Amino acid sequence: MLKSLVVILFIVMSLLAQEYEEEKSYEIGEGFQVGELPLYIGGYFSLDYRFKDSQSRYRIDDLAFLAYGSYEKLSYMAEFEYKEFYTLSETDNEYTSEQDTTLHIERLYADYTFNENFMFRAGKYNSPVGFWNLLPINVLRDTTSSPISTEMIFPKFTTGIYASYTTYHEGEFKIDAILQHNDDFDEAYNNYVIDEHYAIGITYSLNEMDFKINVGTFDNYMPENTTRLLHYFLASFKYETEDYQVMSELGTQKSNGSFTTKYAGYLQGAYYLNEQNTAILRLESYDDNFSDVEDDIAIIGYTYRPLYPVAIKAEYQFHSLKKENQFLFSFSVLF
Amino acid sequence: MKAIVTYLIGTLLSLQLFSDEYAVVTNNSVESVTLGQIKALFLKKTGYLGNRAIVPVNLSSRNPIRVSFEKRVLHMSFNRLKSYWTKQHYLGHRPPISMKSQASVNAFIQKVDGSIGYMRLEKVANGMKIVYRWSD
Repeated sequence: MLKSLVVILFIVMSLLAQEYEEEKSYEIGEGFQVGELPLYIGGYFSLDYRFKDSQSRYRIDDLAFLAYGSYEKLSYMAEFEYKEFYTLSETDNEYTSEQDTTLHIERLYADYTFNENFMFRAGKYNSPVGFWNLLPINVLRDTTSSPISTEMIFPKFTTGIYASYTTYHEGEFKIDAILQHNDDFDEAYNNYVIDEHYAIGITYSLNEMDFKINVGTFDNYMPENTTRLLHYFLASFKYETEDYQVMSELGTQKSNGSFTTKYAGYLQGAYYLNEQNTAILRLESYDDNFSDVEDDIAIIGYTYRPLYPVAIKAEYQFHSLKKENQFLFSFSVLF
Repeated sequence: MKAIVTYLIGTLLSLQLFSDEYAVVTNNSVESVTLGQIKALFLKKTGYLGNRAIVPVNLSSRNPIRVSFEKRVLHMSFNRLKSYWTKQHYLGHRPPISMKSQASVNAFIQKVDGSIGYMRLEKVANGMKIVYRWSD
């Protein structure tokens, strides 16, 4: 009931915002302000197609709404999303469809900025671990798929508190602290079911380069009501110019002194051919003891953006586990 | 005659050089600002200098002074900034406010404590503080 009200509220807000759209010359990908309120709304969606192992899959994957704003030292973010909203699969001319109309809480938090250096957050947020996980939605990624390592090493979302300390001088230095000691706002919408997550991160940025390391631990619910304590480490690197970007993340995960994931990582290069076209090559590798799977992957991709917030992407994945080879195509928009 | 021609050429050259010089300015309520802090303020990574709230002010998007500021100070092109602000929309951050003319920026900075903007050096009014200079 509450979620339905939220959706209705979003629609009403959208209509109100439309009235101001002409005056404020709305541009796609920027959201719009509701009247003069400290409230901006927007959203995004993605449609994708996958061909893998003789099966075709068509999806309306993400359909999300954003609301955010700030007033003096306080700011907030709310994001609600339908995930895998509609899926149609086809094998040998036989079609099956599924629909998931559960509206998930993807992010819901409030920030308090003390001064130039200190910021405090409470709520559910993208775990600030690595670089990929900060901008994880289809339209903002270079490829339709995300590296498997970004799903494997750490919880993508944290429900708790977060604090950061940043200095801005010749380079930028940042320390992040993550703390969760409660249930997830929406445990179905996370890659791990957790009730504890503690982590720190250190980022150093200088000109076009960014380095980051994260160390953390979390308590993961397992089947049959058991839990396991997992510890992780992730090192990340990014180098971006006007012409290209190189990004890499490499992590490992342990439990009870032995590796649950020996390693998982990727190295991705994106070459900006011009304003609209990007060619991508990504190499991934992982060795996961928990699922007893290891795989090496090479991905070639191409992205066309008629406007930056609109992405049309195609990629092909070559796996050492050949049955995982696949073709992906997507169309995504941020509005 | 030769002296007059030399003087005129010299004057024209110095005017030309002067017109291509720019300044990042604040009103007097703001203490010193480093280049790293200027970048952080105009990219909205922070809204503060120490404990003071800061309001960065841009010129309109295709204004040549803004283009120069983004290239020489932020080291980012128009396209890269477009993608940057699209990502910031997802993260819940808005770009700085924009004003159409240097005169508007000038008036705003003189009026609003904690504001910061940029303009041609010769447009900097008395009572403003120059915190950074650059030239094309």
